Amino acid sequence: MPVSRDFKVGLFIVCTAAILFLSLAYLAVGKGFFENVHTFTLSSKSGDGFTEGMPVVFSGFNIGKVHALELNEKGVVLIKIKIPQRHIQWIKSDSEFILYRPLIGSARIVVNSENLASPTLDENMIPEVMLINDINDAIARIEPVLERIIQIAENVEQLTRVLSDPKGDFNRTLANAEKITANLAGKKSLLEMAVSDEASVKSVHEALKKMQDITVRLDDLLKKTDEQLYHQEGTLPQVNAILKDLLGKLQRLDKTIDNINQISTDTSEGMKDFRFLRSDIDDVVNAIDGVVKKIDGIVGSKKDLEFKVP
Amino acid sequence: MSIKSVFDSGYLKLLRSCAKIEFLTDMGCSMEWIEKIGRSIGKAGKSFGGTLAFSGKVLARMLRRKTYSSATREVLVNQIYFTSVQILPAFLLVSILFSSLLVGIVFQVLKDFGLTEFFGHVLMGLIVTELSPIFAVLLITLRSASAINVEMAVMKSNRELKTLETFRIDLMNYLVVPRIINGMVSMVLLSSLFAIVLMASGVLFSGLIFDMSVDVYRNILLNSTSFSDIFIALVKCAIFGFFITLIPIRFGLRATSELTSVPVVVSGGMVNVFLAVLIIEVLSLLTKLL
Repeated sequence: MPVSRDFKVGLFIVCTAAILFLSLAYLAVGKGFFENVHTFTLSSKSGDGFTEGMPVVFSGFNIGKVHALELNEKGVVLIKIKIPQRHIQWIKSDSEFILYRPLIGSARIVVNSENLASPTLDENMIPEVMLINDINDAIARIEPVLERIIQIAENVEQLTRVLSDPKGDFNRTLANAEKITANLAGKKSLLEMAVSDEASVKSVHEALKKMQDITVRLDDLLKKTDEQLYHQEGTLPQVNAILKDLLGKLQRLDKTIDNINQISTDTSEGMKDFRFLRSDIDDVVNAIDGVVKKIDGIVGSKKDLEFKVP
Repeated sequence: MSIKSVFDSGYLKLLRSCAKIEFLTDMGCSMEWIEKIGRSIGKAGKSFGGTLAFSGKVLARMLRRKTYSSATREVLVNQIYFTSVQILPAFLLVSILFSSLLVGIVFQVLKDFGLTEFFGHVLMGLIVTELSPIFAVLLITLRSASAINVEMAVMKSNRELKTLETFRIDLMNYLVVPRIINGMVSMVLLSSLFAIVLMASGVLFSGLIFDMSVDVYRNILLNSTSFSDIFIALVKCAIFGFFITLIPIRFGLRATSELTSVPVVVSGGMVNVFLAVLIIEVLSLLTKLL
């Protein structure tokens, strides 16, 4: 069925307008346009940071906004907030109201309701708003840093002052450096610049030449010594051979010493018995001495040449 | 006096004369330049005043009931058909593609910068109320305003307008008012459609990028939507529609009987439309700020 142009245009306008109207109506319902709104009054010693239209937030959700700000006869700022019926459950008699001013982003009134079983806040009650100010906190934190920066700036200023002072240390050092470089540029060598005397430089040169001769001779001497010491028939190989021979002999001597040791040990062991042997001998000698004495007594007293032995 | 000294003094006089002539010429040039600027400003002011006066006349006609004869209504329907209905499928397709891309990029940027909490305000305050009208303006200006400008200029060159006047047909009622109403209606409706498509694609991208549920998205949108902003956006769309059709008509009517005047008035008209869009945008931003 062919559709007329008028119909198409009409359909377009009606449909689009309907969509637009429905969207707006949805927004209006969602924003509580047709809802009952409760007005609560909060108080603050200062109106600083409060603005009309400021959001009232509970658990991160907007539940209302600041409707009006007034100053009463006592100089206290009254903040009237409007809360729709569906969010009234979050506003309790013991709720805390905090003005939160973040460093970034807009300020808001945060509602903290610890006990959700508490009764709803009476619209005639006027709770006080506490303040949390990220900006002041940040300033308090930044203050010592700023002081240090100021100190650094002062130091830098002092440094630059010292640097820029024509009679200052830095400029004097620079002048000295300039003199040194100028001096350096005028001299033929670093040595001349150091001793500032051409004759000394010559004598140093001569000394150096002599040193060179000495080192050449020393080098020859060392070569000869080297040859004498390290040649195949030099001292060191011979010493080595002697040492090896000596080592072999020493090893053999070790055995002899061991044997001597053994003998001396044995001797020592034998010597231990010598004392007993001697005492035995002494006893025997004593006994013999006694016997002799007895024999002598017998022999001496008797005239008879014969005697009876026991 | 030697010949050399005579020659030298003559040469010096010649140099001085040349310097004077150069100075006077420079002065003349700078004077001319200032005159040119003054003339241009006067011309622009006159043109602006003329456009405002013409707008007043059109508004007065729009408010008259007598204006809406059957012929006017028919022209209006045709205009809306050509401007909005004919283009609707393409417009919706482009809207879906462009809005998805735009919302996706904006959301990703907000996420990268850690500004997730401002996404509702960015979506409503920037994309819906600012970019949607601009998108519709671009579309209608490029497609319809330029066509209206050429149509008017060619009609004027071909003396069709004279003919209509001869037949005692009111040009304002028959040609101007329906086109301007069409501009306003089309701008408001197409811009609204684009905004709705944009918000719908926002549901998809908020879920994909922020892992956000539809309920949270809805709450954020509701909290960041301001009726005053929407009202300003709709009024702005209507004003855009009014001027992006009025200026091409006005410039088209300036064409002479020579066909060579057509491109001149068309380019002039389109440049002025661009300026008008900029001025209205700035004024709307100022209104928002105030």
